[in-house]
Amino acid sequence: MAGIKMATPAAKPEEYKNVFVFLETREDKLVRPALEMIGVGKRIADKVGEKLYCLLLGGNIKDEAKEAVSYGCDIVLGAESPDLSVYRTLPYSKIISDFVKEEKPNIFLIPATRNGRDLASRIAVSCEAGVTADCTELDIEQDTRILSANRPTYGESMLAEILCKKHRPQMATARAGIFPVPDRVKSPKGEIRINSVKVDKSLLKKEVLEFKKKNAVDLTAAKVVVSGGMGLGKADGFKLIEELASEIGGVVGSTRPAADMGWISRDHQVGQTGQTVRPRLYVAAGISGKIQHIMGMKNSETIIAINTDPNAEIIKYSDYVINADLYEAIPALVNSIREEKKKLAPAAGK
Amino acid sequence: MVLEIIVMVKQVPDSQEVVIDPVTMNLNRSLTRNVTNSADENALEAALRIKDKVGANVTVISMGPPQAETTMIECLARGADRAILASDRFFGGADTYPTGLTIAATISKIGKFDIIFAGEESSDSSTGHVGPGVAEFLNIDQITYASSVDYEDGYVTADRELEGGTETVRVPTPVLVTVLLNSNSPRMQTLRRKIDAVKKGMEVWDHDKIGLQPEWVGVRGSPTIVRKMRPIKERERAAKKIDVAGLGDLARELYEKKILKLEEE
Ligand SMILES: Cc1cc2nc3c(=O)[nH]c(=O)nc-3n(C[C@H](O)[C@H](O)[C@H](O)COP(=O)(O)OP(=O)(O)OC[C@H]3O[C@@H](n4cnc5c(N)ncnc54)[C@H](O)[C@@H]3O)c2cc1C
Repeated sequence: MAGIKMATPAAKPEEYKNVFVFLETREDKLVRPALEMIGVGKRIADKVGEKLYCLLLGGNIKDEAKEAVSYGCDIVLGAESPDLSVYRTLPYSKIISDFVKEEKPNIFLIPATRNGRDLASRIAVSCEAGVTADCTELDIEQDTRILSANRPTYGESMLAEILCKKHRPQMATARAGIFPVPDRVKSPKGEIRINSVKVDKSLLKKEVLEFKKKNAVDLTAAKVVVSGGMGLGKADGFKLIEELASEIGGVVGSTRPAADMGWISRDHQVGQTGQTVRPRLYVAAGISGKIQHIMGMKNSETIIAINTDPNAEIIKYSDYVINADLYEAIPALVNSIREEKKKLAPAAGK
Repeated sequence: MVLEIIVMVKQVPDSQEVVIDPVTMNLNRSLTRNVTNSADENALEAALRIKDKVGANVTVISMGPPQAETTMIECLARGADRAILASDRFFGGADTYPTGLTIAATISKIGKFDIIFAGEESSDSSTGHVGPGVAEFLNIDQITYASSVDYEDGYVTADRELEGGTETVRVPTPVLVTVLLNSNSPRMQTLRRKIDAVKKGMEVWDHDKIGLQPEWVGVRGSPTIVRKMRPIKERERAAKKIDVAGLGDLARELYEKKILKLEEE
């Protein structure tokens, strides 16, 4: 069978050390999930006294390498070439696999974004590693240095803990929006190793013809999200949602059917097939609380539901429940908040 | 030479009616109906549209137990030309690595291929890792998360839906393409084709036929193992009832507890 590598020999775990994370970029800028990987990677590396290596590829990455160090990265392994300024599967997977084979990391984390998943499994096959997809909890066992990779399964009802005992590195892709972005470190002292590389022509046959940016609303970074669902009954209902959102410094979210109706653009959608958010406050107005929506917002610190149905599923996920028509409750809430702000404002101005 | 297209499909438990056994914490397979993974139907449709346009041989392949036959026949009835099920007791319990290996080995056993299609992910495992794994084993390029796919003169052009926008790429064949769920409307099976499909039937290939050693595949060839399953415990929330008259108190509480802040960063 030409070209196919067969059996996967087990590795010698003791030869593998340190934690790798892949820093995804868009136009040579780190994307938020890259920072999330630094956070979780650092926590795991620190727990076993190892180093965090950040892999950064691109056309011009010097500034972002410094960024990575400022967030706590110990060593940036960079590859720079004009041919790497946009992500392409083959050059990225080749260069990264070479880094892995050379440095032998014990653990390698990649964001479970679309390009992250495009990449992860190729590296796993090329390096004969085990990979667990879309993890929402990651930890390391101190004595064995085995990665505990946990991923939701069966429609998010169960969490499966997956281990990779004999193969190295232990790879995982980590769901975006789950792991916190770390604080910047006080006196960063990471080392930056960037090489200019020449990419083999045979790896560059894919042409990226165009990238049409969505004027994406980034809900994942929002501190306050106010979402509307089918209970709004009409597109106009989102005006009310916007009013409340702007009163409390929030951004607008939606359920999938509300976006399907064209009441609001798709980039506001929260849930399994939308964005995963974890704001300080999430307001769910006219939202029933089906699992696909819950998945995207259940880690919010505080949740307020506004729903006419006293038995709606959303209620058991809520800290506060306003069992009322949203067309009555939201204007009243906006008023109460204005009143409260008036009371607090003089105090805040002192 | 006629274009050779392979479509990777999987039979999955119907996600609408998944039943978990409370003792083993695993899927109760006897109570769960099996269906064709939806995104794979979109992958097959993408292949059939290329067949309609320029002519092609479309072969569907799957790794799975014998009951996946219903899925294979369904694919033939929609318009595929050949169906091969890689099925063997040694294949059971595979993680994404030996699954990719088994499918890649099956494809290379078939011989020539120009385009391999797969769904973006399966609804039961949701890894999206098998397609790219197959491409790596076969050492070919890939296009993942495609919302539209076109073929012309040895090149596949596709739109990829990414978090920040849509990327258009063009790749010479051979290439593996994973297709987004709901990115097209799969054609119906006709009665005529259904009868032909049943008559034609599927081929079943075991490890020996494919040329794989038992220890390379299935649970033995899997680098990862499931240590345990546990129900996801949601944080208990108070669900404190507030009526419209009490919204003033709620507003005060939100600021007092710093759930809302006057100056949002
Ligand atoms: C594969 C797949 C992926 C999916 N992905 C997502 C996803 O990412 N995000 C997502 O949100 N959904 C997703 N869904 C859809 C999901 O299953 C639900 O259909 C959806 O979340 C329900 O939206 P809703 O709550 O807006 O509507 P409904 O379920 O119709 O609920 C409307 C709610 O509004 C309440 N209501 C009605 N009138 C009023 C009023 N005047 N005042 C107050 N309350 C009122 C009702 O009591 C009801 O609870 C997905 C589904 C599938 C199959």
